[in-house]
Amino acid sequence: MPKARSLFYQDSLLEKLHEVQSTYGYIPETEIKELAEKYQLPRANIYGVISFYSMFYTEPTGKYIIRICDSISCHLNQSESVLKAVKSYLNLENHQTTKDKKFTLEVVECLGHCGEGPVMMVNNKIYTKIDGNKALEILGGCI
Amino acid sequence: MVSEKLYLKGDKLLNILDYDFKSIKNALRMGRKETIQKIKDSELKGRGGAAFPTGLKWQLASEVEGEEKFLVCNADEGEPGTFKDRYLLEERPLKVLEGIMLAAFAIGADKAYIYIRGEYTRAIEVFTEIIEAARKNKILDSKIFDSNFKLEIKLVRGAGAYVCGDETSLLNSIEGKRGRSRIKPPYPIQEGLFSQPTVVNNVESLCCAAEVLNPDSEEFANLGIEGSRGTKLLCLSGDLNKPGLYEVEFGKITLQEIIYDLAGGIKAGENLKFVIPGGISTALITAKDLDFPYSYQAFEKRGSSLGSGAVIAVSKKHDLLDLMLNVSRFYMDETCGTCFPCREGNRQINKILKEFKNSGQKIDAELISDIGNTIRLAARCGLGQSSLNFISSVIENYGQELKIGGKIYA
Repeated sequence: MPKARSLFYQDSLLEKLHEVQSTYGYIPETEIKELAEKYQLPRANIYGVISFYSMFYTEPTGKYIIRICDSISCHLNQSESVLKAVKSYLNLENHQTTKDKKFTLEVVECLGHCGEGPVMMVNNKIYTKIDGNKALEILGGCI
Repeated sequence: MVSEKLYLKGDKLLNILDYDFKSIKNALRMGRKETIQKIKDSELKGRGGAAFPTGLKWQLASEVEGEEKFLVCNADEGEPGTFKDRYLLEERPLKVLEGIMLAAFAIGADKAYIYIRGEYTRAIEVFTEIIEAARKNKILDSKIFDSNFKLEIKLVRGAGAYVCGDETSLLNSIEGKRGRSRIKPPYPIQEGLFSQPTVVNNVESLCCAAEVLNPDSEEFANLGIEGSRGTKLLCLSGDLNKPGLYEVEFGKITLQEIIYDLAGGIKAGENLKFVIPGGISTALITAKDLDFPYSYQAFEKRGSSLGSGAVIAVSKKHDLLDLMLNVSRFYMDETCGTCFPCREGNRQINKILKEFKNSGQKIDAELISDIGNTIRLAARCGLGQSSLNFISSVIENYGQELKIGGKIYA
């Protein structure tokens, strides 16, 4: 089979990384080794790819990943006050995880709900038109 | 009173049995050449931001020979303020699918990818189901609608990188690499995915193509004005009473009407200061210059661009420096780092603005302008080249108010 065609039928490394991450919650070293063998790439290359993309983790994250948008449209609608409330409630800074491994906080760029900002995403679920109080309520519902 | 045109927008359409695929059937009847001619005649331009003529892209790709040929649908919508592609993927995915089929047929590709940003979890779910339903109903794979046309589609999820919206970065990402841009030429049409001829089209562009080829909406291609044909999805956000997604006819509505009629004006009795017309990669338009028809050329004349259609209204209550810092942080975080003027330039701009905020000391607009020009000249992708457009335009229009000294030149 010609090379380009066989590459089309091969799993994309990005998709494979998503799969591994949804199994473990992060991409562990052992899996990186296997991927390196499967794709015949040095491990460093696989790490290079992982570290380029902000949604991939090589360390365990919290059970809930809290993503709060602070791009311009949400920013104009006071996303900073949401951030402030969440940071002080969880006692976390951006990219940090709580000690009990329940929450990871990510201040992110545009989530594509700009007409309904501020916007927060908890794992795969989107919450729109939030404020500080609503955000804390949502966090309170994460058990 | 201004009104919307409803072609791309409409009721939620998710059941494949409710969709008639008239455009692709029409194209299969007409053949590749005539299909491409129709798109060329419609003067359709890419809706992702770069506004390259879609018909020309298809024609060039159809004439190239390759071991394989690929069509890639760019659904890595990341320009702050933009949410039209998410809408289309979640609510009108069958139109997107038909657009992909049309483009693939026209260029002679039997393999296609759709690359959806990882954050769009709902859109990913919906489109995965649509592909499955299409295969089950024999609308994909081989002998599509009893023709010789065959097409396989694969979905790849992005993983959080704005720069992958650039077509060459996106191709690297599909190939499983870091999403860094490539040097052009060769253009993707010559040497794209896996070194094969590849066309990359935006989601909205493909939906427009489906309208152009649909016998039920023949008038679509004649809407608008010369140079700006059809309709545009607008993502209205910021300090507006009625933000949201609207569809307008090119050339028949002014930016003034968009802000004050469609979106109900500025909320909480505030006054408008300026509009960012096409996402944060575009130069602002001041509140007193809104009375012109919405078209590609009108924005170009004003040194800006309609970009992705993200219209962001900013009222007078905001701190300009705070907004500049917000935009600057975005580019500092999202540059892929390949071209150092973009990587280091955006970092320096952020540093300069931060120092200005903290010390209040006068800063040199000429320095910012120099860095901006260097990035514009040296960055190899469009995202880098346009990274200073907004900040430069703020300084140009409000330099005195900000007490930023020095000369600005574009």
